[in-house]
Amino acid sequence: MNEAMLAPDSTRPSDRASGEIRLVDVTKSFAPGSYAVKDINLTIPDGSYCCLLGPSGCGKTTILRMIAGHETPTSGEITIGGQSVVGLPPVRRGTAMMFQSYALFPHLSVLDNVAFYLKMRGVGKDERRRQARAMLERVQLDHLRDRVPAQLSGGQQQRVALARSLITNPRVLLLDEPLSALDEFLRLRMRGELKSLQAELGITFVHVTHTQPEAIALADLVVVMDTGQIDQAAPASTIFNQPTTPYVARFMGGQNVLTGKVEGQSGELLRMRTAEGWTFEMPAGQSPPAPGTTASAAIRRDRVTLRKRDAEGAVPANAVPGVVEATEYQGSYIKVTLNTGMVHAFVANVGDAAYAAEPVVAGDAVLASWLPADVHVLTKPDLGDAGVPYLDISH
Amino acid sequence: MKTSSGRRPWTFYALAAFFALFVLFLYGPMISVLVLAFQGPSGALDFPLRNPSLIWFAELAHPKGTGDVIGAFNRSLPLALIVMVLSVLMSVTAGFAFRRRFHGATLLFYTAVASLIAPGLVLSIGILVMFRFLDLPAAWYSSALGAHLSWALPFGLLIMFAVLGRLNPSYEEAAYDLGASRWRTVRDVVLPIVFPGIIAVALFGFTLSYDEFPRTWLTAGTKNTLPLEIWTMTTNVTSPALYALGTVTTIFSFLLIGLALGSILVIQRRRSAQR
Amino acid sequence: MTSKRSLTPYLQVTPLALVLLVFFIVPIALVLIVSFFRYQMLVGLTPDFTFDNYLDVLTNPTTWRLYFSTVKFTLIVLALTFVIGFWIAYFLVFHIRNLLVSIGLFLVCTVPFWTSNIIRMISWRPILGKEGLINQALLDSGVVAHPLTWLLYSDFSVVIAYVHLNTMFMIVPIFNSMARIDRALLEVAVDAGATRWEAVWNIVLPLSKTGIALGALFVVTLVMGDFFVVSVMSGGLSGSATTGMFNDLQFLNYPRAAANAVILLIVVLLIAAGIFRLVDVRKELVR
Repeated sequence: MNEAMLAPDSTRPSDRASGEIRLVDVTKSFAPGSYAVKDINLTIPDGSYCCLLGPSGCGKTTILRMIAGHETPTSGEITIGGQSVVGLPPVRRGTAMMFQSYALFPHLSVLDNVAFYLKMRGVGKDERRRQARAMLERVQLDHLRDRVPAQLSGGQQQRVALARSLITNPRVLLLDEPLSALDEFLRLRMRGELKSLQAELGITFVHVTHTQPEAIALADLVVVMDTGQIDQAAPASTIFNQPTTPYVARFMGGQNVLTGKVEGQSGELLRMRTAEGWTFEMPAGQSPPAPGTTASAAIRRDRVTLRKRDAEGAVPANAVPGVVEATEYQGSYIKVTLNTGMVHAFVANVGDAAYAAEPVVAGDAVLASWLPADVHVLTKPDLGDAGVPYLDISH
Repeated sequence: MKTSSGRRPWTFYALAAFFALFVLFLYGPMISVLVLAFQGPSGALDFPLRNPSLIWFAELAHPKGTGDVIGAFNRSLPLALIVMVLSVLMSVTAGFAFRRRFHGATLLFYTAVASLIAPGLVLSIGILVMFRFLDLPAAWYSSALGAHLSWALPFGLLIMFAVLGRLNPSYEEAAYDLGASRWRTVRDVVLPIVFPGIIAVALFGFTLSYDEFPRTWLTAGTKNTLPLEIWTMTTNVTSPALYALGTVTTIFSFLLIGLALGSILVIQRRRSAQR
Repeated sequence: MTSKRSLTPYLQVTPLALVLLVFFIVPIALVLIVSFFRYQMLVGLTPDFTFDNYLDVLTNPTTWRLYFSTVKFTLIVLALTFVIGFWIAYFLVFHIRNLLVSIGLFLVCTVPFWTSNIIRMISWRPILGKEGLINQALLDSGVVAHPLTWLLYSDFSVVIAYVHLNTMFMIVPIFNSMARIDRALLEVAVDAGATRWEAVWNIVLPLSKTGIALGALFVVTLVMGDFFVVSVMSGGLSGSATTGMFNDLQFLNYPRAAANAVILLIVVLLIAAGIFRLVDVRKELVR
């Protein structure tokens, strides 16, 4: 983004209202007995970039639309900057929404689209055109101001939609799958532009997406959703490295989930045994599950070591035996998928150097092992009832 | 079907010939009337055209034997305009209502459809009986107007259904976001977007009324509308004046259609032109 | 949602509902009521509850003859408009490569709909008449020695006029249905070894079913309820289901006309209900 975008808009007061969003026990039901979202509690700090991440139908768009004022919660409270907004019309919330299809008015020129908000506020024609042109210059589209939306490319339409949202001087910008209509190249470019724009403006961005890399690349706060509930809300690195539920661990990729009975604790290490009889250890952490209960743990894929295994022998601790199902070249590493007899495949991401030293091919019997330090216990056991992520992207 | 080579299959030529025949079937008779309207003083109702002249048009203006054509037009035109305006207003507002759920929506929809398909003569008898019971005289501006509306309104409603059903709700939400009231949203966003559909409703409303015969026959009262006048002429006028009248009304209709379709075209062009 | 907002749709449909109530429901109800009244020559209508009018209509062989004739016309016209409408729409949608040309030709087919039906009927006179263009051509070429008289004022000309006036109602909905068919489906069918015919039969025809049903609804109800086309184009020689009604009205026998009207209305609505069972018209419209 250029210099002009960095300069704060002169119309914006320096003591900008807070864009902190708080949802308290929010439930939305479209039909009796079924819930789009249920008992949502979430705080999005002022000036943060928040991504609501989940598969389609998980309720993320419903949350966005409730913040925007296009849906009313069935119960619960929503505040923005400490002020309750339930029942307020969209324009009085200080939010602006960018729609998935952009919803640019097809009968109006680019300039009139951007000036629409000012027109509704009764700003005179010359003044609103001047301000709209200034905004268009900020997104480098002033030369296209007389075109109608159908004459613009997808990327240009998105910038116009952005300009039209920003001219309302919002404290919160809501983005509904803003990058999904763009091709791969544009998507990466616009992703970068959104991130720097948010940094410049310093306002809260809430961005709905179903794509994990998008969320990880953009968000200060990633909210992973599953069938109407929040599974985990945390910074991207935490979500990725310390998922709290089996669902998040699988949805973000990069983790294997093992489930077993807690056998006991020795020192700092907690010991678990799977139904197959394999044992493994992990740091006990703050509040370890009680001995005898069922628990799950996540093991990072890139910390797994593979060794070929000839004979049927005893399986050591912190290891599982398996047969290689497939290998996939990923550039800097090789993704090796193992069949261990468990429901979900066990995946090891082997660095290219390590792989070259001991290559494996489909059909090889191997032992996958790791260090207890690379395992962490999940707060919820995997009872097989969590939604199965529809996308498994590899890292 | 698209073929990569660009050569058209034989079925294209067969169907193109069929299409050409159909267009000839549609327009051929109309053209023959347009030509014969310029028949010479011999007054023959058939080809060939001898000594082309404008005398039959002149006869329309000076009604000796042709009946009150101008009077009938002076009733048909305002009637059609009233039906047009009312059907636009009512079907557009009702179309908006049907975007939400309300009690009786299905009943009202099927009543409208029934009103559309009920035979015009049956309805006319009912309206005539109703006016008799109320001891009101039947007239073009009351009973005929109602009869026309009962047929033009459902048509307009169906068009608005199709138009509004395809309208993306995001446009309205975007307008609310940007501070537009409900009324400003309708005025500044929704109506301009669906304006081509509204022109279509207007065209339907006008022509359905302007050309309507079965529903007018019993309900127009003592003074004829234009289609009734033409109908009377078919039985007692045996000169090309009939063709001249047909020519005039057809040209009038074509002008209207051209105006309506032209404005729809201009709007769509403006919204999608390649720079 | 506040109560004020939920009141809006009711206010918005009020004008439409009122017009339909006053100019459709009440008149039809009156027709139903009057159909049970008694009619006496010179006296006029007497309120009553008698089925005599219905008996009168239904026991009259003329009624059955006229209904038979109307059903005959309806079926012939339905078949012709369907065949023409289907192939015209198919040509416009699948054979014209340029969308603008396709829409332009579509408009060429629909423009006459907006002009006067009576003028369009009259316009057949110089074509089909005894000294019309067709007879002139046939006589000049020596195909016939005397002009054909069955061209005009006959069942033939009635069918011609119905097809001329009503094919539009088939073309428009079928065109709409076909325009939504993904052309890749036809390519898939051809890739799978289907001939052009098989592709039309197995793909285009089933997927334009709703359009065909809608078109049939219009054509059937228009022909069944018609009086004027048949009387103009047959020169008064043929009748239709409405002819009985027309004659009763001439004699101011409103009760019997009303009974006739009720019977016709029931027949038409039954046919329409049958078609509605096949397609959800409302869903089709908003799709």
